[in-house]
Amino acid sequence: MNKLTAKIFVIAALALLLQTAQAFDFGQELRNAARELQKPGGSANLGGYSEAEEVAIGQQIAGNLLGAAPLVQDKKLQKYVNNVGRWVATQSERPDLVWHFGVIDSSDINAFAAPGGYIFVTRGLYKLLNDEAELAGVLAHEIGHVISKHHLKILQQGKMLDLGSKLLGKQVGDDKISKLIGSGAEIVSRSLDKGAEFEADRIGVVLAARAGYDAYGLPGILQEIGHSATDDSSVALLFKTHPHPDDRLAKLGEAMDSRFDGLNGQTAAKRLYKIK
Amino acid sequence: MKFYLLFTLFIAGAAQAAESGTTVKKDSVRSAPFSDAKIITTLPAATRVEILKKDGGWYQIKSAQGSGWIRMLSLRRGDVKAVTGPISGLAGLASGRAGTGKIIATTGIRGLNEEELKAAHYDEKQIALLESSTSSRAEAQKYAAKAKLKAQQMDYLAEPGVSK
Repeated sequence: MNKLTAKIFVIAALALLLQTAQAFDFGQELRNAARELQKPGGSANLGGYSEAEEVAIGQQIAGNLLGAAPLVQDKKLQKYVNNVGRWVATQSERPDLVWHFGVIDSSDINAFAAPGGYIFVTRGLYKLLNDEAELAGVLAHEIGHVISKHHLKILQQGKMLDLGSKLLGKQVGDDKISKLIGSGAEIVSRSLDKGAEFEADRIGVVLAARAGYDAYGLPGILQEIGHSATDDSSVALLFKTHPHPDDRLAKLGEAMDSRFDGLNGQTAAKRLYKIK
Repeated sequence: MKFYLLFTLFIAGAAQAAESGTTVKKDSVRSAPFSDAKIITTLPAATRVEILKKDGGWYQIKSAQGSGWIRMLSLRRGDVKAVTGPISGLAGLASGRAGTGKIIATTGIRGLNEEELKAAHYDEKQIALLESSTSSRAEAQKYAAKAKLKAQQMDYLAEPGVSK
């Protein structure tokens, strides 16, 4: 064996060793990631995504949703919901996330949340509001979905973002994430399990109360929606993807009981921005 | 003119018939919207009442058994259909669009169904617009202070029936 052959042999052996090492790392990482995601409440901590990844995912979904229903063209209205929403979000565990709120141009009665702090209320729902506390309650329910990572959990379980992409996400930029999400915003209207909706309701009334609002804003608007005719197409999607308002009110009644007595939260009715 | 009169009558009639409700559980009717206020009567579930007004978590009601305040979550509002028509009429009047019959055409209001959501494509300009209205934490705090909203401590609620 001459020197050259020996050199080639060593390089080849090293390369092989390196490759095996990489493959081993990859497998290990995959197993770690799988274990992490299987942990109960694993979504409560970052659920496998960094905050930047979560925001990138949310931004893509929000942009898709806005592609279906753009923002109502009223700067003052949009600023108003951001002021109210951000104040409510400040009372949550994620006060420093950059929260975005918007009223979208749809006659449907609905509200949506995407990961990373993107929250939307339809014009149809906004028009039903009687005071600022009801707006705060609606936004607080959606904030509840974001801080509990309800939608992110679905994305993780689904095929849209599998474990592999989680690993890739570590090495690639945000643009890859948007490619993985692709178009479509049906995730915002995916039925969460009933427990997640009731949980978001319970979080919602507490966040509104913490923010100094009348905690009964959310139940109030649920009462309003609850007696909207169920055959009305404006509530079709909402009723399909959420438990009936009467069931939500019953659960809230049990959970709230007399706990909110004497809080004297404000309805801030006079300040509710009137939509054109 | 005739139409206007008819419209006014329509609204007045609807407002009168407006709020009726039904108790969904047995609860006390009290003299004031407080849990320690004097009990006037106790209504069984499925009692029809008339709702007069709302104050926080309480409704002021009138019933055959007595009038006073009852917990909001012990009641469900009823007879909705009678109210929705005139209310949207009123809203239309306020926005100056009543009677044009072109609300849908002029404002482009439309519903959002699952098909539309599935087919939706990313709109970069809209995202930029959305971000242009974002409020900072400090900004929101200032705005809250204007309405004298004060932050207060409160624990999250346990799931009913789970940890007691």
